[in-house]
Amino acid sequence: MKPLMLQGHERAITQIKYNREGDLLFSSAKDVTPNVWYSLNGERLGTYNGHTGAVWCIDVDWKTTKFLSGAADNSLRLWDVSTGVEIGNISSNSAVRTCSFSYSADLASYSTDQAMKQDCEIFIVDARDNESFKNSEPILRMTVPESKVTSLIWGTLDHTIITGHEDGAITQWDLRTGKSIETVKDHQGSINDMQKNRQGTMFVTASKDKTAKLFDVDDLSVHKVYVTERPVNSASLSPIFDHVVLGGGQEAMDVTTTAAQAGKFDARFFHVIFEEEFARVKGHFGPINSLAFHPDGESFSTGGEDGFIRVQSFDPTYKEFRFDY
Amino acid sequence: MSYTTTRGIFIDNFSSDIPIMTIHDSGSVLSLVGPFLINLYVEVSQMKDLIKASWADEVEDHLEKTTLPQSKTEQIGNSRIITEYRWNKDDKKEKVVRTYKIEKRFVSKTIAERKTWPKFGDSRNDKPGPNIATTIPAEEIQMQFLSGKDGDKVEENPLDKLKNVNMNIKCRTCGGEHWSFSCHLKGTGLVVEDKKLVQEKVAEPEKNTSTNRPYIPPSAREGATNTAGKRDPYSRSYDEVPAIRIENLSESTSEADLSELVNKFGQIARIFLASNKVTGACKGYAFVNFKSKMDAERAIKALHGYGYDHLILNVGWSTNNYKYA
Repeated sequence: MKPLMLQGHERAITQIKYNREGDLLFSSAKDVTPNVWYSLNGERLGTYNGHTGAVWCIDVDWKTTKFLSGAADNSLRLWDVSTGVEIGNISSNSAVRTCSFSYSADLASYSTDQAMKQDCEIFIVDARDNESFKNSEPILRMTVPESKVTSLIWGTLDHTIITGHEDGAITQWDLRTGKSIETVKDHQGSINDMQKNRQGTMFVTASKDKTAKLFDVDDLSVHKVYVTERPVNSASLSPIFDHVVLGGGQEAMDVTTTAAQAGKFDARFFHVIFEEEFARVKGHFGPINSLAFHPDGESFSTGGEDGFIRVQSFDPTYKEFRFDY
Repeated sequence: MSYTTTRGIFIDNFSSDIPIMTIHDSGSVLSLVGPFLINLYVEVSQMKDLIKASWADEVEDHLEKTTLPQSKTEQIGNSRIITEYRWNKDDKKEKVVRTYKIEKRFVSKTIAERKTWPKFGDSRNDKPGPNIATTIPAEEIQMQFLSGKDGDKVEENPLDKLKNVNMNIKCRTCGGEHWSFSCHLKGTGLVVEDKKLVQEKVAEPEKNTSTNRPYIPPSAREGATNTAGKRDPYSRSYDEVPAIRIENLSESTSEADLSELVNKFGQIARIFLASNKVTGACKGYAFVNFKSKMDAERAIKALHGYGYDHLILNVGWSTNNYKYA
């Protein structure tokens, strides 16, 4: 395969996401401008200029009209995807760590960091039109005093949200009552990323405890565990095969204290059911911070601590590959 | 209102405050996707510092030095070649030749519409097609499939291996062949009375080996097969099966002929046929990487001395496969 290297960011990539059809790829980094790219040829469509701090999280609605970004400048901004014009801005008391549109994109949720005397909080806001986004009070506001939220997804039919926490806990919240329904603690380290499968019935976590696990969206039961020997920063499920790809690598602070060995920054492919690694793809010269499968399953992208995004299209050998069992 | 969720199938009564979305099939239209940047070539012009015979030459030279030739665009079938000139950092002329592949594909209406969006933000002034400042075609890479338990082997700790190597370890307490800290007499206050006896016994055969032996780094010691330090860091194929070298091929051999010849023996990862860049004629040798070592061995056995075209093939392991990778 001949990957495309997208060099639009000056600092480490924090998150990358495809839109529903997969023709656009959104990216954010610890610099101040999220980017959008045509995934097919790597052409940059534009940048969303306005933030003044590291952008931690991004999301795009399913119609690809609205784009959401949360940053360390204590703001959550809503953008018009096609023009890059800011159409909404909610300021918060601390950095916005996670943000996500509901499936219909009528609602959006975001969470803020624990900072000074400020507790970590989860907000649900109305994102239907610009006025409601700008002016309204949040529909729901939930305080999380224990451990801060590090990843967030919407549950089945937008009735619940599921949050991953810094201490490894995963909590499901009922949006009607604003209370937590269930909390499980299957991970020992921070949940860096959660991504649902195509059907929205399961999600895969990526944790600092060097494992990724497959959970049920409804009852948060663990189905599968994928073990590596480095912290996992991101994991994504293939929409067409029983494959899951894990990205991670040793943290920057540990680089000098551990033996250098090639192959730690690879994207690693596991079989979803047999939990066994079967392939690797090299490329980054730093840990992978975020990765995503293209919705058609024919390619995948990785964003690294090195500031590059790599778009890899699979060779026929990948599609011909059959797992031996 | 009942609230039940059936896993896999979404059956639910939606509450009125969160409207449900319906997906319309938008149909497909023929749209221009791409252009894909397939080749990039930058040439720096050489400055001629000759003593000029007349002022007219100098004027001409000055003009040549200060003006850039017009950029031009050529369209040949499906590829578009754009030649541009620019100044580089050292004030030297640079010729940039970009080759794009133009492709038309059937895509959904929404994707086709997004393809026509004007660029915005920092990409506002970019020309159509990928900008070489942000989009770089990366080097060709191979997805590495792990066969069997190969993946685990890589992760073995080099220190474990060293434990099995006789390094002339001597305990300070009892003189036995183990580390002092793991001595069974440690902390007991007991000292072996005839310590000297034991010591002498052990020391005797060591004398000639330990005193005048040069230092050997742990990675080079016998038994330490995990040679992390010795590994060529630039080799892309360290965990692939070594290549086999096929010599004495006839000039008319093509890559297709060769793959037909070798693919009977098993799955092939890569074929490299040395050929003349201008004429395309085979130079007489080739390298083939099989996916498994067994297949490679079988191929060597069968093909060595095999008559192909009018020549007798000479097949063996490639000795220094890193260089040719």
